[in-house]
Amino acid sequence: MGLEAIPVVVEPADLAAARAVLRELAVLVERLLATGEGGAIDLGVLPLTPAARAWLIDRLGRGEVEIRLTAGGQSTITETGCAGVWWVRHGNEAGVVTSELLEVAYVPGLVPVSRAEVENGLQRLNSGLDGLN
Amino acid sequence: MNELQERLAWRGISRRGFLKYCTMLASLMALPPAAGQAMAEALARARRPAVIWLPFQECTGCLESITRSHTPTIEGLIFDALSLDYSETLMAAAGHQAEQALKRAVEDNAGRFILVIDGSVPTGLNGAYSCIAGRSNLDLLREVAPKAAVVIAMGSCAAFGGIPAARPNPTGAVAISEIVRDKPLVNIPGCPPIPVVMTGVIAHYLTFGSLPELDRLRRPRAFYGETIHDRCYRRPFYDRGLFAKSFDDEGARQGWCLFELGCKGPVTYNACAHVKWNDHTSFPIESGHGCIGCSEPGFWDAGGFYRPLSAPAGPLKLAAGAVAAGAAVGVAVAIANRARKGAARAAHVTATVADLEKADGGER
Repeated sequence: MGLEAIPVVVEPADLAAARAVLRELAVLVERLLATGEGGAIDLGVLPLTPAARAWLIDRLGRGEVEIRLTAGGQSTITETGCAGVWWVRHGNEAGVVTSELLEVAYVPGLVPVSRAEVENGLQRLNSGLDGLN
Repeated sequence: MNELQERLAWRGISRRGFLKYCTMLASLMALPPAAGQAMAEALARARRPAVIWLPFQECTGCLESITRSHTPTIEGLIFDALSLDYSETLMAAAGHQAEQALKRAVEDNAGRFILVIDGSVPTGLNGAYSCIAGRSNLDLLREVAPKAAVVIAMGSCAAFGGIPAARPNPTGAVAISEIVRDKPLVNIPGCPPIPVVMTGVIAHYLTFGSLPELDRLRRPRAFYGETIHDRCYRRPFYDRGLFAKSFDDEGARQGWCLFELGCKGPVTYNACAHVKWNDHTSFPIESGHGCIGCSEPGFWDAGGFYRPLSAPAGPLKLAAGAVAAGAAVGVAVAIANRARKGAARAAHVTATVADLEKADGGER
Protein backbone atom coordinates (compact mmCIF):
# COMPACT_ATOMS: atom_id res chain seq x y z
CA MET A 1 0.00 0.00 0.00
CA GLY A 2 1.41 3.38 -0.96
CA LEU A 3 1.29 6.64 0.98
CA GLU A 4 -1.44 7.90 -1.34
CA ALA A 5 -3.79 5.37 0.21
CA ILE A 6 -3.64 7.08 3.59
CA PRO A 7 -6.82 9.22 3.80
CA VAL A 8 -5.30 12.54 4.86
CA VAL A 9 -6.29 15.65 2.96
CA VAL A 10 -3.85 18.55 3.36
CA GLU A 11 -5.20 21.92 2.37
CA PRO A 12 -2.63 23.79 0.26
CA ALA A 13 -1.11 26.69 2.17
CA ASP A 14 -2.03 29.19 -0.53
CA LEU A 15 -5.71 28.25 -0.32
CA ALA A 16 -5.57 28.69 3.44
CA ALA A 17 -4.54 32.31 2.91
CA ALA A 18 -7.42 32.84 0.47
CA ARG A 19 -9.87 31.34 2.96
CA ALA A 20 -8.54 33.70 5.63
CA VAL A 21 -9.24 36.62 3.30
CA LEU A 22 -12.85 35.48 2.92
CA ARG A 23 -13.26 35.22 6.69
CA GLU A 24 -11.82 38.68 7.24
CA LEU A 25 -14.10 40.08 4.54
CA ALA A 26 -17.10 38.58 6.33
CA VAL A 27 -16.06 40.34 9.55
CA LEU A 28 -15.64 43.65 7.72
CA VAL A 29 -19.04 43.34 6.02
CA GLU A 30 -20.68 42.58 9.39
CA ARG A 31 -19.03 45.71 10.79
CA LEU A 32 -20.23 47.75 7.80
CA LEU A 33 -23.79 46.63 8.46
CA ALA A 34 -23.54 47.27 12.19
CA THR A 35 -21.68 50.59 12.27
CA GLY A 36 -21.48 51.90 8.71
CA GLU A 37 -17.69 51.64 8.86
CA GLY A 38 -16.06 49.26 6.42
CA GLY A 39 -12.38 48.56 5.83
CA ALA A 40 -9.98 47.10 3.33
CA ILE A 41 -7.60 44.18 2.86
CA ASP A 42 -4.37 44.90 1.04
CA LEU A 43 -3.76 42.06 -1.39
CA GLY A 44 -0.30 43.37 -2.25
CA VAL A 45 1.17 42.15 1.02
CA LEU A 46 -0.53 38.75 1.06
CA PRO A 47 1.28 35.68 -0.25
CA LEU A 48 -1.47 34.69 -2.69
CA THR A 49 -0.45 32.39 -5.51
CA PRO A 50 -2.19 32.65 -8.88
CA ALA A 51 -4.24 29.57 -7.95
CA ALA A 52 -5.37 31.12 -4.66
CA ARG A 53 -6.19 34.38 -6.41
CA ALA A 54 -8.27 32.54 -9.00
CA TRP A 55 -10.08 30.70 -6.21
CA LEU A 56 -10.80 33.99 -4.43
CA ILE A 57 -12.09 35.65 -7.61
CA ASP A 58 -14.33 32.66 -8.21
CA ARG A 59 -15.73 32.66 -4.67
CA LEU A 60 -16.41 36.39 -4.63
CA GLY A 61 -18.06 36.41 -8.03
CA ARG A 62 -18.83 39.44 -10.15
CA GLY A 63 -21.33 42.22 -9.42
CA GLU A 64 -23.00 44.77 -11.66
CA VAL A 65 -20.82 47.82 -11.25
CA GLU A 66 -17.41 48.57 -12.70
CA ILE A 67 -15.81 51.97 -12.18
CA ARG A 68 -12.83 53.21 -14.13
CA LEU A 69 -10.80 55.95 -12.52
CA THR A 70 -8.21 57.96 -14.43
CA ALA A 71 -5.96 59.68 -11.92
CA GLY A 72 -2.22 59.11 -12.10
CA GLY A 73 -2.89 56.06 -14.28
CA GLN A 74 -5.88 53.79 -14.69
CA SER A 75 -7.64 52.22 -11.70
CA THR A 76 -10.54 49.83 -11.86
CA ILE A 77 -13.01 49.33 -9.04
CA THR A 78 -15.14 46.27 -9.60
CA GLU A 79 -18.12 45.23 -7.54
CA THR A 80 -17.89 41.60 -6.52
CA GLY A 81 -20.87 39.26 -6.31
CA CYS A 82 -20.89 39.99 -2.56
CA ALA A 83 -22.49 43.43 -2.38
CA GLY A 84 -20.37 45.84 -0.38
CA VAL A 85 -17.11 44.15 -1.36
CA TRP A 86 -15.14 45.90 -4.11
CA TRP A 87 -12.04 44.67 -5.89
CA VAL A 88 -9.79 47.71 -6.38
CA ARG A 89 -6.80 47.68 -8.73
CA HIS A 90 -4.61 50.77 -8.99
CA GLY A 91 -2.37 51.11 -12.02
CA ASN A 92 0.25 53.73 -12.80
CA GLU A 93 0.73 55.65 -16.02
CA ALA A 94 2.78 52.82 -17.48
CA GLY A 95 -0.18 50.48 -16.96
CA VAL A 96 1.52 48.52 -14.16
CA VAL A 97 -0.64 47.53 -11.17
CA THR A 98 0.88 49.31 -8.16
CA SER A 99 -1.58 48.24 -5.48
CA GLU A 100 -4.56 45.99 -5.17
CA LEU A 101 -7.12 45.82 -2.39
CA LEU A 102 -10.46 44.46 -1.42
CA GLU A 103 -12.49 47.33 -0.05
CA VAL A 104 -15.60 46.91 2.05
CA ALA A 105 -17.89 49.94 1.73
CA TYR A 106 -21.25 51.04 0.41
CA VAL A 107 -19.36 53.28 -2.02
CA PRO A 108 -15.59 52.93 -2.51
CA GLY A 109 -13.67 55.72 -0.76
CA LEU A 110 -12.07 57.15 -3.88
CA VAL A 111 -15.33 57.61 -5.77
CA PRO A 112 -17.27 60.42 -4.02
CA VAL A 113 -16.27 63.98 -4.79
CA SER A 114 -15.23 66.33 -2.02
CA ARG A 115 -17.13 69.48 -1.07
CA ALA A 116 -14.25 71.65 -2.36
CA GLU A 117 -14.43 69.94 -5.72
CA VAL A 118 -18.19 70.50 -5.95
CA GLU A 119 -17.66 74.18 -5.11
CA ASN A 120 -15.07 74.41 -7.88
CA GLY A 121 -17.51 72.72 -10.23
CA LEU A 122 -20.18 75.24 -9.37
CA GLN A 123 -17.78 78.10 -10.07
CA ARG A 124 -17.01 76.60 -13.44
CA LEU A 125 -20.71 76.20 -14.24
CA ASN A 126 -21.41 79.76 -13.23
CA SER A 127 -18.54 81.13 -15.31
CA GLY A 128 -19.92 79.17 -18.28
CA LEU A 129 -23.38 80.67 -17.69
CA ASP A 130 -21.90 84.18 -17.39
CA GLY A 131 -20.62 83.83 -20.91
CA LEU A 132 -24.15 83.10 -22.14
CA ASN A 133 -25.76 86.17 -20.49
CA MET B 1 -8.26 73.99 -0.98
CA ASN B 2 -5.16 73.71 1.19
CA GLU B 3 -1.60 74.45 0.14
CA LEU B 4 -0.79 70.90 -0.89
CA GLN B 5 -3.98 70.46 -2.92
CA GLU B 6 -3.28 73.69 -4.73
CA ARG B 7 0.23 72.57 -5.57
CA LEU B 8 -1.01 69.16 -6.65
CA ALA B 9 -3.68 70.69 -8.87
CA TRP B 10 -1.10 73.02 -10.38
CA ARG B 11 0.98 69.98 -11.34
CA GLY B 12 -2.06 68.19 -12.74
CA ILE B 13 -2.36 65.70 -9.85
CA SER B 14 -5.90 65.32 -8.52
CA ARG B 15 -6.98 64.61 -4.95
CA ARG B 16 -7.87 61.08 -5.99
CA GLY B 17 -4.50 60.64 -7.69
CA PHE B 18 -2.73 61.71 -4.50
CA LEU B 19 -4.88 59.47 -2.33
CA LYS B 20 -4.13 56.61 -4.68
CA TYR B 21 -0.41 57.28 -4.33
CA CYS B 22 -0.68 57.28 -0.53
CA THR B 23 -2.60 53.99 -0.66
CA MET B 24 0.25 52.50 -2.67
CA LEU B 25 2.75 53.93 -0.19
CA ALA B 26 0.93 52.36 2.75
CA SER B 27 0.80 49.05 0.91
CA LEU B 28 4.55 49.11 0.22
CA MET B 29 5.22 49.81 3.89
CA ALA B 30 2.96 46.93 4.93
CA LEU B 31 0.71 49.36 6.80
CA PRO B 32 -3.05 48.84 7.03
CA PRO B 33 -4.93 50.25 4.00
CA ALA B 34 -6.49 52.95 6.18
CA ALA B 35 -2.99 54.35 6.72
CA GLY B 36 -3.04 55.61 3.12
CA GLN B 37 -5.89 57.97 3.98
CA ALA B 38 -4.12 59.01 7.19
CA MET B 39 -0.92 59.73 5.25
CA ALA B 40 -2.78 61.80 2.68
CA GLU B 41 -4.38 63.85 5.47
CA ALA B 42 -1.09 64.31 7.32
CA LEU B 43 0.71 65.46 4.19
CA ALA B 44 -2.14 67.81 3.37
CA ARG B 45 -1.97 69.64 6.71
CA ALA B 46 -1.46 73.35 6.36
CA ARG B 47 1.78 73.38 8.35
CA ARG B 48 4.37 71.91 6.12
CA PRO B 49 7.37 70.03 7.50
CA ALA B 50 10.79 71.55 7.11
CA VAL B 51 13.39 69.52 5.28
CA ILE B 52 17.00 70.62 5.00
CA TRP B 53 19.05 68.66 2.49
CA LEU B 54 22.83 68.84 2.73
CA PRO B 55 24.97 67.35 -0.02
CA PHE B 56 28.37 66.15 1.15
CA GLN B 57 30.84 63.82 -0.59
CA GLU B 58 28.43 62.56 -3.27
CA CYS B 59 27.58 62.49 -6.97
CA THR B 60 24.00 63.94 -6.81
CA GLY B 61 22.59 60.64 -8.09
CA CYS B 62 20.40 60.29 -4.98
CA LEU B 63 18.75 63.66 -5.56
CA GLU B 64 18.37 62.87 -9.26
CA SER B 65 16.70 59.61 -8.34
CA ILE B 66 14.02 61.38 -6.35
CA THR B 67 13.40 64.46 -8.41
CA ARG B 68 13.62 62.96 -11.88
CA SER B 69 12.29 59.45 -11.49
CA HIS B 70 9.33 59.96 -13.80
CA THR B 71 6.80 62.64 -14.74
CA PRO B 72 4.82 63.84 -12.96
CA THR B 73 6.65 62.67 -9.91
CA ILE B 74 4.76 62.82 -6.64
CA GLU B 75 7.95 61.87 -4.83
CA GLY B 76 9.63 64.89 -6.34
CA LEU B 77 6.61 67.04 -5.59
CA ILE B 78 6.49 66.07 -1.93
CA PHE B 79 10.11 67.00 -1.67
CA ASP B 80 10.58 69.91 -3.94
CA ALA B 81 7.32 71.78 -3.54
CA LEU B 82 6.06 70.68 -0.17
CA SER B 83 8.97 70.21 2.14
CA LEU B 84 12.31 71.38 0.95
CA ASP B 85 13.59 74.45 2.78
CA TYR B 86 17.21 74.19 1.80
CA SER B 87 19.02 72.28 -0.89
CA GLU B 88 22.12 73.72 -2.46
CA THR B 89 21.54 71.71 -5.62
CA LEU B 90 17.90 72.67 -6.21
CA MET B 91 17.63 76.15 -4.78
CA ALA B 92 18.01 79.24 -6.93
CA ALA B 93 20.04 81.15 -4.35
CA ALA B 94 23.82 80.91 -4.35
CA GLY B 95 26.81 82.20 -2.40
CA HIS B 96 26.09 84.32 0.68
CA GLN B 97 22.33 84.20 -0.05
CA ALA B 98 22.41 80.40 0.16
CA GLU B 99 24.39 80.48 3.39
CA GLN B 100 21.85 82.89 4.89
CA ALA B 101 19.02 80.60 3.76
CA LEU B 102 20.60 77.65 5.57
CA LYS B 103 21.12 79.64 8.75
CA ARG B 104 17.54 80.90 8.67
CA ALA B 105 16.08 77.47 7.92
CA VAL B 106 17.98 75.92 10.83
CA GLU B 107 17.13 78.71 13.30
CA ASP B 108 13.45 78.98 12.32
CA ASN B 109 12.91 75.23 12.59
CA ALA B 110 15.32 74.31 15.38
CA GLY B 111 14.38 70.97 16.92
CA ARG B 112 11.69 70.32 14.29
CA PHE B 113 13.31 69.88 10.90
CA ILE B 114 14.20 66.70 9.06
CA LEU B 115 17.85 66.72 8.08
CA VAL B 116 18.59 64.75 4.93
CA ILE B 117 22.21 64.18 3.97
CA ASP B 118 23.52 62.52 0.87
CA GLY B 119 27.18 61.69 0.64
CA SER B 120 29.75 60.55 3.15
CA VAL B 121 31.78 62.77 5.45
CA PRO B 122 35.50 63.00 4.73
CA THR B 123 37.43 63.18 7.99
CA GLY B 124 40.98 63.21 6.59
CA LEU B 125 42.92 66.50 6.95
CA ASN B 126 40.30 67.56 9.47
CA GLY B 127 37.55 67.38 6.82
CA ALA B 128 39.30 69.58 4.24
CA TYR B 129 38.53 67.21 1.34
CA SER B 130 34.94 68.46 1.01
CA CYS B 131 34.00 72.01 1.90
CA ILE B 132 31.04 74.29 1.23
CA ALA B 133 31.57 78.04 1.52
CA GLY B 134 34.92 77.44 3.17
CA ARG B 135 33.51 75.11 5.84
CA SER B 136 34.11 71.41 5.96
CA ASN B 137 31.19 68.96 5.77
CA LEU B 138 32.35 67.70 9.15
CA ASP B 139 31.97 71.13 10.79
CA LEU B 140 28.62 71.75 9.13
CA LEU B 141 27.24 68.38 10.24
CA ARG B 142 28.41 68.92 13.80
CA GLU B 143 26.64 72.27 13.85
CA VAL B 144 23.36 71.41 12.11
CA ALA B 145 22.62 67.82 13.22
CA PRO B 146 22.11 68.59 16.94
CA LYS B 147 19.29 70.99 15.97
CA ALA B 148 17.43 68.45 13.78
CA ALA B 149 14.47 66.33 14.88
CA VAL B 150 15.58 63.34 12.83
CA VAL B 151 18.44 62.65 10.47
CA ILE B 152 18.05 60.71 7.23
CA ALA B 153 21.24 59.36 5.67
CA MET B 154 20.28 59.19 2.02
CA GLY B 155 22.09 56.75 -0.24
CA SER B 156 24.87 54.27 0.41
CA CYS B 157 27.57 56.93 0.80
CA ALA B 158 25.73 58.64 3.67
CA ALA B 159 24.52 55.35 5.15
CA PHE B 160 27.72 53.31 5.00
CA GLY B 161 30.47 55.44 3.45
CA GLY B 162 29.81 54.07 -0.05
CA ILE B 163 32.25 54.60 -2.89
CA PRO B 164 34.23 57.42 -1.20
CA ALA B 165 34.98 55.04 1.67
CA ALA B 166 36.01 52.19 -0.66
CA ARG B 167 39.59 51.00 -0.32
CA PRO B 168 41.97 52.79 0.01
CA ASN B 169 39.58 55.51 1.22
CA PRO B 170 41.99 58.39 0.58
CA THR B 171 39.77 61.04 2.21
CA GLY B 172 38.96 59.10 5.38
CA ALA B 173 35.26 59.03 4.39
CA VAL B 174 32.81 57.78 7.01
CA ALA B 175 29.06 57.25 7.28
CA ILE B 176 26.82 59.90 8.87
CA SER B 177 26.14 57.55 11.78
CA GLU B 178 29.85 57.71 12.67
CA ILE B 179 29.47 61.40 13.42
CA VAL B 180 25.82 61.75 14.48
CA ARG B 181 25.31 59.48 17.45
CA ASP B 182 22.65 61.11 19.58
CA LYS B 183 19.77 61.67 17.13
CA PRO B 184 17.11 59.39 15.66
CA LEU B 185 18.77 58.34 12.41
CA VAL B 186 17.51 56.29 9.51
CA ASN B 187 19.68 54.92 6.73
CA ILE B 188 18.23 54.73 3.23
CA PRO B 189 21.01 53.01 1.31
CA GLY B 190 21.15 52.31 -2.40
CA CYS B 191 23.21 53.71 -5.23
CA PRO B 192 20.86 55.47 -5.69
CA PRO B 193 17.99 54.64 -3.31
CA ILE B 194 14.48 53.96 -4.59
CA PRO B 195 12.52 57.25 -4.59
CA VAL B 196 9.40 55.88 -2.93
CA VAL B 197 11.44 54.68 0.06
CA MET B 198 12.39 58.26 0.80
CA THR B 199 8.83 59.59 0.60
CA GLY B 200 7.61 56.55 2.53
CA VAL B 201 9.90 57.39 5.46
CA ILE B 202 8.94 61.08 5.43
CA ALA B 203 5.21 60.28 5.10
CA HIS B 204 5.48 57.82 8.01
CA TYR B 205 7.22 60.40 10.18
CA LEU B 206 4.62 63.06 9.39
CA THR B 207 1.69 60.73 9.89
CA PHE B 208 2.72 58.86 13.02
CA GLY B 209 5.33 61.21 14.48
CA SER B 210 7.97 58.50 14.49
CA LEU B 211 10.36 56.74 12.18
CA PRO B 212 9.25 53.39 10.76
CA GLU B 213 10.62 50.20 12.24
CA LEU B 214 14.30 49.83 11.42
CA ASP B 215 16.60 46.83 11.01
CA ARG B 216 20.01 46.40 12.66
CA LEU B 217 21.59 48.67 10.05
CA ARG B 218 18.89 51.32 10.71
CA ARG B 219 17.16 50.69 7.40
CA PRO B 220 13.33 50.80 7.24
CA ARG B 221 12.32 47.18 7.61
CA ALA B 222 9.30 47.64 5.34
CA PHE B 223 11.62 48.22 2.38
CA TYR B 224 14.77 46.38 3.44
CA GLY B 225 13.17 43.43 5.23
CA GLU B 226 13.73 40.94 2.43
CA THR B 227 16.56 40.21 0.05
CA ILE B 228 16.39 40.86 -3.68
CA HIS B 229 16.66 37.08 -4.04
CA ASP B 230 13.58 36.51 -1.84
CA ARG B 231 11.35 38.46 -4.23
CA CYS B 232 13.20 37.83 -7.50
CA TYR B 233 11.12 36.55 -10.40
CA ARG B 234 14.11 34.37 -11.43
CA ARG B 235 14.10 32.62 -8.05
CA PRO B 236 12.36 29.47 -9.38
CA PHE B 237 15.34 28.93 -11.70
CA TYR B 238 17.72 29.15 -8.73
CA ASP B 239 15.62 26.62 -6.87
CA ARG B 240 15.79 24.28 -9.86
CA GLY B 241 19.56 24.79 -10.28
CA LEU B 242 19.26 26.53 -13.66
CA PHE B 243 21.94 29.20 -14.00
CA ALA B 244 23.08 31.40 -16.90
CA LYS B 245 26.82 30.84 -17.44
CA SER B 246 27.42 33.94 -19.56
CA PHE B 247 25.41 37.03 -20.47
CA ASP B 248 24.60 35.76 -23.95
CA ASP B 249 24.14 32.01 -23.54
CA GLU B 250 20.89 30.11 -23.90
CA GLY B 251 20.30 30.22 -20.15
CA ALA B 252 20.53 34.02 -20.14
CA ARG B 253 18.07 34.16 -23.03
CA GLN B 254 15.71 31.89 -21.12
CA GLY B 255 15.84 34.18 -18.08
CA TRP B 256 17.68 31.75 -15.80
CA CYS B 257 19.20 32.77 -12.48
CA LEU B 258 22.23 35.12 -12.66
CA PHE B 259 23.86 33.82 -9.46
CA GLU B 260 26.90 32.38 -11.28
CA LEU B 261 27.38 35.70 -13.10
CA GLY B 262 27.93 37.45 -9.80
CA CYS B 263 24.39 38.44 -8.74
CA LYS B 264 24.46 39.66 -5.11
CA GLY B 265 20.68 39.33 -4.74
CA PRO B 266 20.89 36.61 -2.06
CA VAL B 267 22.76 38.89 0.36
CA THR B 268 21.26 42.25 -0.57
CA TYR B 269 18.34 43.69 1.35
CA ASN B 270 16.36 46.13 -0.76
CA ALA B 271 12.96 46.55 -2.40
CA CYS B 272 14.03 46.68 -6.08
CA ALA B 273 12.50 43.31 -6.95
CA HIS B 274 8.97 44.31 -5.94
CA VAL B 275 8.91 48.12 -5.91
CA LYS B 276 11.02 48.30 -9.08
CA TRP B 277 12.39 51.35 -10.87
CA ASN B 278 11.27 53.90 -13.43
CA ASP B 279 7.62 54.01 -12.51
CA HIS B 280 7.52 50.33 -11.52
CA THR B 281 8.86 49.29 -14.92
CA SER B 282 11.65 46.87 -14.02
CA PHE B 283 14.80 46.38 -11.97
CA PRO B 284 18.39 45.48 -12.97
CA ILE B 285 17.87 41.69 -12.95
CA GLU B 286 14.93 42.10 -15.32
CA SER B 287 17.32 43.93 -17.64
CA GLY B 288 19.64 40.93 -17.61
CA HIS B 289 22.27 42.08 -15.11
CA GLY B 290 22.83 40.69 -11.64
CA CYS B 291 22.27 42.76 -8.52
CA ILE B 292 25.50 44.53 -7.48
CA GLY B 293 24.42 44.75 -3.84
CA CYS B 294 24.54 48.55 -3.71
CA SER B 295 22.43 48.86 -0.56
CA GLU B 296 24.80 46.78 1.57
CA PRO B 297 27.78 48.12 3.52
CA GLY B 298 31.07 47.92 1.61
CA PHE B 299 29.46 46.82 -1.65
CA TRP B 300 32.26 48.38 -3.70
CA ASP B 301 34.89 46.23 -1.99
CA ALA B 302 32.86 43.03 -1.99
CA GLY B 303 35.15 41.20 -4.39
CA GLY B 304 33.88 42.18 -7.85
CA PHE B 305 30.45 42.54 -9.42
CA TYR B 306 30.89 39.47 -11.63
CA ARG B 307 32.37 37.14 -9.05
CA PRO B 308 29.81 34.62 -7.80
CA LEU B 309 29.07 34.83 -4.09
CA SER B 310 30.34 31.29 -3.62
CA ALA B 311 33.75 32.11 -5.21
CA PRO B 312 36.67 33.24 -3.03
CA ALA B 313 36.90 37.02 -2.73
CA GLY B 314 40.71 37.06 -2.27
CA PRO B 315 43.29 37.24 -5.09
CA LEU B 316 43.18 34.22 -7.40
CA LYS B 317 45.99 31.70 -7.02
CA LEU B 318 47.39 30.94 -10.47
CA ALA B 319 49.65 28.08 -11.48
CA ALA B 320 53.35 28.94 -11.99
CA GLY B 321 53.08 28.37 -15.77
CA ALA B 322 50.15 30.74 -16.03
CA VAL B 323 52.02 33.38 -14.03
CA ALA B 324 55.07 33.08 -16.34
CA ALA B 325 52.87 33.26 -19.44
CA GLY B 326 51.04 36.27 -18.02
CA ALA B 327 54.34 38.03 -17.27
CA ALA B 328 55.57 37.40 -20.84
CA VAL B 329 52.34 38.81 -22.29
CA GLY B 330 52.60 41.81 -19.95
CA VAL B 331 56.15 42.59 -21.13
CA ALA B 332 55.11 42.31 -24.80
CA VAL B 333 52.13 44.64 -24.25
CA ALA B 334 54.31 47.16 -22.43
CA ILE B 335 56.87 47.20 -25.30
CA ALA B 336 54.08 47.65 -27.89
CA ASN B 337 52.53 50.46 -25.86
CA ARG B 338 55.87 52.22 -25.49
CA ALA B 339 56.43 52.03 -29.26
CA ARG B 340 52.93 53.41 -29.91
CA LYS B 341 53.50 56.27 -27.46
CA GLY B 342 56.84 57.11 -29.11
CA ALA B 343 55.24 57.21 -32.57
CA ALA B 344 52.42 59.45 -31.32
CA ARG B 345 54.92 61.82 -29.71
CA ALA B 346 56.95 62.00 -32.95
CA ALA B 347 53.85 62.70 -35.04
CA HIS B 348 52.54 65.36 -32.65
CA VAL B 349 52.55 68.91 -33.97
CA THR B 350 51.90 71.64 -31.41
CA ALA B 351 49.45 74.36 -32.39
CA THR B 352 49.55 77.97 -31.24
CA VAL B 353 46.64 80.38 -30.80
CA ALA B 354 47.78 82.14 -33.98
CA ASP B 355 47.57 78.84 -35.90
CA LEU B 356 44.02 78.30 -34.68
CA GLU B 357 42.96 81.83 -35.63
CA LYS B 358 44.53 81.32 -39.06
CA ALA B 359 42.61 78.08 -39.53
CA ASP B 360 39.39 79.74 -38.38
CA GLY B 361 39.89 82.62 -40.79
CA GLY B 362 40.66 80.26 -43.65
CA GLU B 363 37.29 78.61 -43.32
CA ARG B 364 35.32 81.78 -43.71
